[in-house]
This record gives sequence, structure tokens and C-alpha cells, in this order.
Amino acid sequence: MISDSQPPPAQSSAEQPAATVALPKIHAKDVNFFYGNVQALHNISMDIYANKVTAFIGPSGCGKSTFLRTFNRMNEAIRNTRVQGELLLNGQSLFSMDVTSVRRRIGMVFQKSNPFPKTIFDNVAYGLRVNGVKGSMIKDEVEKSLRRAALWNEVKDTLHKPASALSGGQQQRLCIARALAVEPEVLLLDEPCSALDPIATLKIEELLFQIKDITTIVIVTHNMQQAARVADYTGFFFMGKLIEFDDTRVVFQNPSKPETEDYVTGRFG
Amino acid sequence: MTGNISLTRRVTNVFMLGLTGLATLLVVSILFFVLGYLLWMGGSSLSIQFFTQIPKPTGETGGGMANAIVGSGKILLLASLIGVPIGFLAGVYLAEYSGRTFAFFVRYVTDLLNGVPSIVIGLVAYTLVVKPMLHFSALAGGIALGIMMIPIAVRTTEEFLRSIPNSLREGAMALGATKARTIFTVVVPAAMSGLTSGMMLNLARVAGETAPLLFTALGNMFWSQGWMQPTATLPVMIYTYAISPYDDWHQQAWAAGFVLLALVLTINVTARLIISRGGSSARR
Repeated sequence: MISDSQPPPAQSSAEQPAATVALPKIHAKDVNFFYGNVQALHNISMDIYANKVTAFIGPSGCGKSTFLRTFNRMNEAIRNTRVQGELLLNGQSLFSMDVTSVRRRIGMVFQKSNPFPKTIFDNVAYGLRVNGVKGSMIKDEVEKSLRRAALWNEVKDTLHKPASALSGGQQQRLCIARALAVEPEVLLLDEPCSALDPIATLKIEELLFQIKDITTIVIVTHNMQQAARVADYTGFFFMGKLIEFDDTRVVFQNPSKPETEDYVTGRFG
Repeated sequence: MTGNISLTRRVTNVFMLGLTGLATLLVVSILFFVLGYLLWMGGSSLSIQFFTQIPKPTGETGGGMANAIVGSGKILLLASLIGVPIGFLAGVYLAEYSGRTFAFFVRYVTDLLNGVPSIVIGLVAYTLVVKPMLHFSALAGGIALGIMMIPIAVRTTEEFLRSIPNSLREGAMALGATKARTIFTVVVPAAMSGLTSGMMLNLARVAGETAPLLFTALGNMFWSQGWMQPTATLPVMIYTYAISPYDDWHQQAWAAGFVLLALVLTINVTARLIISRGGSSARR
């Protein structure tokens, strides 16, 4: 199971990387997930560290998106699904909290940008209004979020135009601004760049570096170079199992599992 | 194989093209024929008077149908106030909340309700409203047409809400919005142009209904006050005037027919303009 060349510290790959931070932001233990009778996740345990970028990689259907969506309990919107195991946010069970407060604290950006058919301003203000922010506060927060998402300069004169007029990359950054507006502790990104060109992708990646200090980022990506560029930690998923989870450098340069090596060197997937 | 199509096949081809084209031409021309014929027959009665005056007593010429135009407006307003909210809310339930089996059942029942002959709906309103109140009224007519609007309102709402991509719902819920909030601040606004035009088409559809009004709103040769009196409507007026023995009444019936058709067409065209303009922004 353990390759010979592997140095001892990272041997049991499914465990957390070297303990540097006291309390993980998210702690997952033995998470199983079922679509009806089909088990999509098998005993996944993992710690997500605060103010770091964690990437999930793996072939299509490996469960990485499903696992990501258990963090903000988004799978509950799908009928006939069930989750088992322990999921803690700052040590408190996600399932003991109100689902709307879980989702306010753990924001999400989706694969396909999904701006509401409203103005740019109203898109960013939506989460604020949902969470009871009123009046002039909204305006300041909208500007702050758009600045953080590196979109302000491009849209400051067209705030009251429909969001649909923006380009694909801008729309995705708008969705990031919208998610950031409610100041989530964790930001989940589900293949946020899969529909974007390289330049728009680069902008989003730069943005992730900038917002790392205000939130914790978990990103699912099909693009291994992207994981290597942006992530501090990387988890490799295969067939609903977490095969390896470690420092990004270790996963890409010195993986402990042959499956990981096959995947990151492009031999399959 | 290629190139050499046999003569019979070519003839059949041309024949079918001609046949289908002819049928299409007929379909298109019927509308214009009806519109033109109504205008030709009733055009002479279409004056300012027709829109501003109430019917003159039998034997006197002139007069108009102002009371019927206003009466139709009142009853259609009432019908919308009843049919649109009930149908809309039930449609929201079907599209956003209910399970598949139950939705299937309700949809089936709605289709059956849609198939109930309008005169039977009129009978229902007669029994439920007219008989207990002991007189015909705009209220009874509005209820009858309102019931007729419900099935289409349900189906329209359900279909337009279902056409809104799930990613929008997820986007709102991922920000901490409750399901109800997601529906009413994101999904419904996204479907608004479709919903508006669907409801307008629904209204246009019942605007010409005559049978359910015959023994609910009845008709009236004078202005009716409020909602509790017998009320004139354009379709019933057309019926009454058309079967009368007087020539100038016949002409007025043609004119009323033209006005009614123009009204229905206007609503239709407006609805389609809304949908074609809103459609692009709702999708992206």
C-alpha cells in the first residue's frame, strides 16, 4: 500500500497533512454518501485548513463534487439522497446548524456561472438582503465585494445593467463577488473555470490568492495544472474514495499511491 | 441511387408541397377573412357612439355598447383576480414543492377541468352564486370565467417555472436563501415575462366565452352598478343582437364582434411581444 520511496511522515495519505494548525476549519470523518442505493462516497475523512486553498482532483464521477456539496449541505436539494458521517465547521456539527446559516457561512461558486437575471448590483446585494442587511450598508458592501473579486473597475459604471451583459469570465467573477458579499468563512468552488478561456481562468486564479486571507477555499478542478498552481493541499479522489490527501507538492511530485501517480502523470483520467 | 428520382416520386413530392401549402394558406386567410368580414358588415356601426352610448330602446336607431364593453372589462378583471392567483400558487406548488406522483395526479385533474364544457362551468356558477343570491350578477359571471382560467394558469405557471434552470435555485440557496425566498425572489422573477404573457393569453381565451355568462351575468340593456347586478358583456350582447329581428341590431352585433376580436387579438399580440422581449434576458 505504501510505496517504498515514500518518507514516513506522509505515509497514511488519507489522514491530514502535518499538523500545523490547531483546529481545522472543516473536519470530515467517515463521510458516506448515497444517491438512492448507489454509494457515491466511501468513508472519506479529511481536514480543511483555514486560509488555505484545498483542491480536489480526480476523474469525472469520482465523487469530488459530491463531497464538496456535502460541506454546504447542497446535496439535500436532491431527492432521495442521504449522507452519513461527521462534518464539523469549527468543531460544530454542520447538521446541528440551520441549513441557511450553514450556507451563509460556507459559500459556493458553481461550475457554470449562474448570475440571477437581475442587475449586477442586485446580484451582489442578493445575499446581503437575504441575510438582513439593509439600506446604505448594502451599497458599500457591494462595492467592497466587487473590488475583492477584481471586477469593480470593469463594472462600476454599469452596476444597474443586467448581469447577463457581462462576459463569461466576468459573470463567474460576479458570482464570486456575490458569494464573498456575505463574508463566508469557507468558499467552495465547483470547477469554476471549466467554461472559461485561459485569460479569464488566470484572473480567477489570481483572485483566489488575494482572497485567501479572508476566507478558506476549497476548489474542485478537472485541471491538474490549476490545482498545482493554486492549491496548498490537494486531495485525489477515485471511485468515491479519497485516495491521497497531502501537500500539493507531494501529491504532484512524489505521490504515495500508484493511482495518484497514474492520474497526475496523465496515464488515465 | 442519387440524382435519378423517379417521376412518380417527384410528382408526389410536388403534390404534397402544394397540398400542405394550400392548407397553410387557408389557415392564415381564415383570420383575415373573419376580420375583414366583421369590419365590412359592422363597420358602419363603428362610431364614437358605439363606444360611448348604451343601447337605444327597440325601434330607435343608433346607440352603442359602452355598457357591454365596460361590463366585459369588469367581469374579465374579476375572473383574473380569481383565476390568476389560485392557478399561479397551485402552479408554484406543482413546479417547486410537490413530488412527482402527486404532480402527475394534479396535472391530470387540471387537464380534465380544462376539458369541462364552458356551459357546465356556467351551471356550477349558477348553482353556487346565482341561486343563493336570487339574482344574476357580474360576480357570478366573474366566478364562472375565473374557474375557467384556473387550469391554464396552473399549467402555464408550472411550465414556465420548470423552464428556469436549477442552477439559479442553487445559486440563491447557496447564499442562505430559504426555498420560499428563492422561489419568489429569483425563480418567479426570472419567469416573469413568460408568466405575464401566459396569463394574458389565458385571459384572451376566456374573453370570448358566451355560454357561461348567459345565466350568470345574464346581460343588461343599461349600465349596471357595482358587482351584484345583471351585467352586459360583449359576447352575450352579440348573441342577443344577432338573434333579434332588427337589421340595425344585426349591424351592431357585427360591430361588437369586430371589437371583441380586436380586443382578443390585441391581448394576444401584446403577450407575444412580452414573451419575445423578456425571453432573451431571462435566459441570459
